[in-house]
Amino acid sequence: MDVATNRLMVLYTEMMRARAIESIALQLVESREFAGFYHPGVGQEAGPIAVCSQLLMQDYLYYAHRGLGYLTARGMDPVEIIGDLLAVEAGSTRGLGAGTVHCVDPARGVLGQGGTLGSCFPLAVGSALASRLLGHGAVVAAFFGDGASARGTFLESAVMALSESLPVLFVCENNGYAVSATTRDTQGVDSLIPRASGLGLESVAVGVEDVREVDEAAKRLIDHARSGRGPAFLEIRSVRRPGHFAGDQQPYRRRDEGLASSEDPVDRAFEDLRRAGVALDVLEQVALTAAQEMEGALAQARRSSKPNEKRLFEGVWA
Amino acid sequence: MRIEAAATGDVETRSYGQAINLALHQEMERDASTFVLGQDVGRMGGVYGITRNLQQAFGSQRVLDTAIVEHAIVGGAVGAALAGARPIAEVQFSDFLMLAGDEVTNKLAKWRFIHGGRLKLPVVVRAPMGATGGAGAEHSQCLEGVFWHTPGLKIVVPSTPDDARGLLKSAVRDDDPVIFFEHRRLYGLRGPVITHPDHTIPLGVAARPREGKDVSLICWSAMVHECLKAAEDLAAEGIDAEVLDLRTLQPLDRAAIAESVEKTGRAVVVSEAVRTAGPAAEIAAHIAEDLFGVLQAPVRRVCGYDTPIPQSAHLEAMWVPAPGDIAEAARQAVRW
Repeated sequence: MDVATNRLMVLYTEMMRARAIESIALQLVESREFAGFYHPGVGQEAGPIAVCSQLLMQDYLYYAHRGLGYLTARGMDPVEIIGDLLAVEAGSTRGLGAGTVHCVDPARGVLGQGGTLGSCFPLAVGSALASRLLGHGAVVAAFFGDGASARGTFLESAVMALSESLPVLFVCENNGYAVSATTRDTQGVDSLIPRASGLGLESVAVGVEDVREVDEAAKRLIDHARSGRGPAFLEIRSVRRPGHFAGDQQPYRRRDEGLASSEDPVDRAFEDLRRAGVALDVLEQVALTAAQEMEGALAQARRSSKPNEKRLFEGVWA
Repeated sequence: MRIEAAATGDVETRSYGQAINLALHQEMERDASTFVLGQDVGRMGGVYGITRNLQQAFGSQRVLDTAIVEHAIVGGAVGAALAGARPIAEVQFSDFLMLAGDEVTNKLAKWRFIHGGRLKLPVVVRAPMGATGGAGAEHSQCLEGVFWHTPGLKIVVPSTPDDARGLLKSAVRDDDPVIFFEHRRLYGLRGPVITHPDHTIPLGVAARPREGKDVSLICWSAMVHECLKAAEDLAAEGIDAEVLDLRTLQPLDRAAIAESVEKTGRAVVVSEAVRTAGPAAEIAAHIAEDLFGVLQAPVRRVCGYDTPIPQSAHLEAMWVPAPGDIAEAARQAVRW
């Protein structure tokens, strides 16, 4: 296998892992073992996988709520992620039931996530400040959707990241929809690139369908940030395929909007790998292995128990 | 003037503002992971001069001038703490904590808990508060109760130069988030200050600047001084008032409140914060619930009026609770 095919195989494998753990999440929504909202990321895996699989050990990640590939690609233990869905002690929050919003893995630079959208921007800038102060050499990746990009926190954080020339990579997964509202209808634009580059961020847009292109763009911007040239903005354009949450009937979605779902990055990678000569059974084995890994993690998480009332009072104070 | 414990170093006369500046210098010297961020804190040394000479001493990466970006100042402190630093953020007026409402109440206060206690947030947010100089309704409030209402935040409200110094040093060294409310009317107040870098004052221990046996005046921050004046007036009338300075609201020194009220049997809670749903109400409720048996009179409150603080300095002076108001409440309690 040549280098390019090898990299594509890595990306394909990570996308399949993301898809496999998402199918577990959807299963838990269906069985009501997970009591919260799950926001599916199917069809958008290319962004999280391309960026997170390129982060170095010292880097920090503020992930977004759509899908779980950010976390699996960052190397988090799927048992901890599924444990958070089940709200058991095996979860990363040790039984608080993070759902998908508050998973944490300090050793891998997963510094948590907030339930208020757009709240990770200032935190990402702060982590970059600390990294500079303490000499960690970290890049901070902050994921968000087109909806959160409208928050005032984005402006303030971009301003501070620029003034201090901090290595923050803002990754906007623009899937055209914020719950029911289109980016065009509520923000007056289809792309956030003019806004980001107008602020002074090094900005690149790429479609979600070809994970290799996303990978290239991510590499360029991570290098930009790491080399001290300041913050960057990556827009990954797609059209949201599922509803906002699992079970969303999407009554707001009109046929005449012309918003066909974007091409699937997993299907595209599969075809490209086949064309590059990778055997069908090898690719089928990737899918099977991913499914087995996540089924195994589910079984292990299910063996863990829910915390008792004492847990209510733990973790408030250091 | 009181100095806690045995003085472990030289004692010098400094202002409240200078004492805070001393603590910042000492703690930044002590711990290289500390840094200061906020508006005008660097080159200018702060609009009140509290961060004077810090940037000269520690450089522009440890004393960061920011734009008018309260989300990013407080949120940045949160993110920096998550990545291992010990940030000291300044909002120019404590009223501006509201501009960073999500960062203070949802991020700073809750981030550790919602992530299973696996992260820590050693953050200090310095927040100058209080009515003075005709700053107006949006720059004068005492909002400590608003943030005391949010589980997860320590609330520090010093009244003297040495307390400001010693409590700030403890706040910086604390692994939990602290909102440090400096009263703007006190910045110029001078008093003895312990200058030894190792001397700190623990959070959660009240002080008793005046002992008395007839009535407990329970207070904090600038109101301590109004209570001390009221106590002098009361003494002339033969009423022996005790002044209990809580110093911190979270943690709250319940034992000190109990000890004082058990002795006097009467309590007047005094706060510059507004009356309705204010911090004085919480303390009064605590006394009513836990100390009902020793009370000889209903707990009284002396607070700011339930109105916005007027811009006019002339009206502002009428708005702030005065020694006369406090003395009158104490008389009513004693004569009950």
